[in-house]
Amino acid sequence: MKELQKFAYPVFFIVMAVLPHMLDDRWQAVAITFLIFAVVALSQDIILGKCGMFNMGQALFFGMGAYTTAILNNEYGWSIIATIPLAIIIPALFGILLAGPIVHLRGDYLLVVTIGFNIVFVQVLQNNLGGVTGGPNGIFGLDSLSFLGYDLMSQISVYYFAFIVLLLTLWVMHNLAGSKPGRAMHYLREDQLAAESIGINTRVYKIFSFGLGAGIAGLAGTVYATQYSAVSPEAFEFIQSVLFFSIVLVGGSSVPGVLIGVFVMFVLPEIFREFATWRYFIFGFAMIAAMIMRPRGIWPATFGKIPKFLIKDNNHGA
Amino acid sequence: MAHNELILTDVTKRFGGLTAVDALSFKVESGQIYGIIGPNGAGKTTVFNCITGIYKSEEGSVLWRGEEIRGKTPYQIVDRGIVRTFQTIRLFGQMSVAENIMSGRHIKSTQRWWHGIIPTPGKKRDELENWQKVEEQLDFFKLSEFAATPVGSLPYGLQRRVEIARAMAVEPTLLILDEPAAGLNDKETLELLETIFKIRDKGVTVLLIEHDMDMVMEVTDYLTVINFGKKIAEGTPEEVQKNPAVIEAYLGSEDDDDE
Repeated sequence: MKELQKFAYPVFFIVMAVLPHMLDDRWQAVAITFLIFAVVALSQDIILGKCGMFNMGQALFFGMGAYTTAILNNEYGWSIIATIPLAIIIPALFGILLAGPIVHLRGDYLLVVTIGFNIVFVQVLQNNLGGVTGGPNGIFGLDSLSFLGYDLMSQISVYYFAFIVLLLTLWVMHNLAGSKPGRAMHYLREDQLAAESIGINTRVYKIFSFGLGAGIAGLAGTVYATQYSAVSPEAFEFIQSVLFFSIVLVGGSSVPGVLIGVFVMFVLPEIFREFATWRYFIFGFAMIAAMIMRPRGIWPATFGKIPKFLIKDNNHGA
Repeated sequence: MAHNELILTDVTKRFGGLTAVDALSFKVESGQIYGIIGPNGAGKTTVFNCITGIYKSEEGSVLWRGEEIRGKTPYQIVDRGIVRTFQTIRLFGQMSVAENIMSGRHIKSTQRWWHGIIPTPGKKRDELENWQKVEEQLDFFKLSEFAATPVGSLPYGLQRRVEIARAMAVEPTLLILDEPAAGLNDKETLELLETIFKIRDKGVTVLLIEHDMDMVMEVTDYLTVINFGKKIAEGTPEEVQKNPAVIEAYLGSEDDDDE
């Protein structure tokens, strides 16, 4: 598996780097969607997979980033790129504020609370709070991407924008895996009492995971708003959160697993479009089968990221 | 200051109508191997939970180096140098032995939250230093060959050792062991005794609960015997063995079973 991964990552990056030049418009759009949803699913993986928090409101943070970009661009005339810092910080702050009072809740209770947050968020958007969210229709007619005076109107530039965001996300997750906060999240997910008893302030790291996950989802939101030049409430409904949640569970809490999950959920339905309604019927069963046969996900999370000097020749297993 | 003493005064813990620990007082002095024994359900583990912050006792005080630690959270207590193991082993089952021991380095690591997002040279150095400490513990506990093995797949005796190694990685002043010999065979128990003596020789005070009477008599310097949450005797192992109250409550009842 390790060897395969070493080989597969560069291939994946190269393929993704040249991909848009080989696709027509429609498939470019599908590829951008794949990239955006991959970032959101990875941000969900930080909260659900790495930290074990049953969060079913990830579309909230995704939408908050998208709306931050849309409002700043539409109402205040900021360029898309200039909205990025706030599109990360605002969802991250909300993630921290919302998580603060609820992270002590046990799995299923937390899940219900996050669903509640998501529903409230969509209601707020639809009721046009403060007169800036555009109500049920949302906000449309956003500027296209521009950077240092260059207009990047083409779909290919949006693709590379999304691709850079994905690479950035993967880089952050890589840093997280080999750091004290990242390990603390694994420990508290495995056994909270043991983690506390070894000196980990579990509350801090749970809130941290929400903040980080929300920030990354917010950044994905910016890309989403750029792709469609528009945002509307129904894209951030609770059902979207369910999809992200199931991608992490079905894929398994690993980068390849999450990417496979996103591919299966968002790209395969496009490929089998002619089967129309039947595709979801089949995907529903595929999900059920995957969970029964591979309860820890299609590509389960692997732990054991330890420095090489600790691994002696006569090592057992691993 | 700097007297590594743990003093419990009239600690009382109730669960509804049941008084699990009843006005218990004892004093663990620096460098001791201190034992707490008592029949099943005597409240031994509850006492440990009250010391390590998992429970908060209703009354009494828990003084550690002259500071009141009753009501502090478990991680705050670990930060003050008190680390425990569990009677039912609580390891991070899917993770490797080395990673489990690394969890003990958590409070010693100087990394802050942003190091989870952006790497810095300081973080890299800190990671390396802590992994080297893990290597020391692996050597000390003769676990090097299992460094990369997931703990869940190890035999019980080794898991016990990993749990003690994890606690020792914190570099504690007071190590609390909850029935460390439970489920171990004679050979493993002997190894455990050696380990406990070696830990004491490093200057760590050890407080342990034990069921295995032979082991307690051999390893401890001083004992408190509790029954129904109350202290019924204390003293050196020799004194306790001769105490009629102890013989009746604990040793005596065992003899009865044997006859």
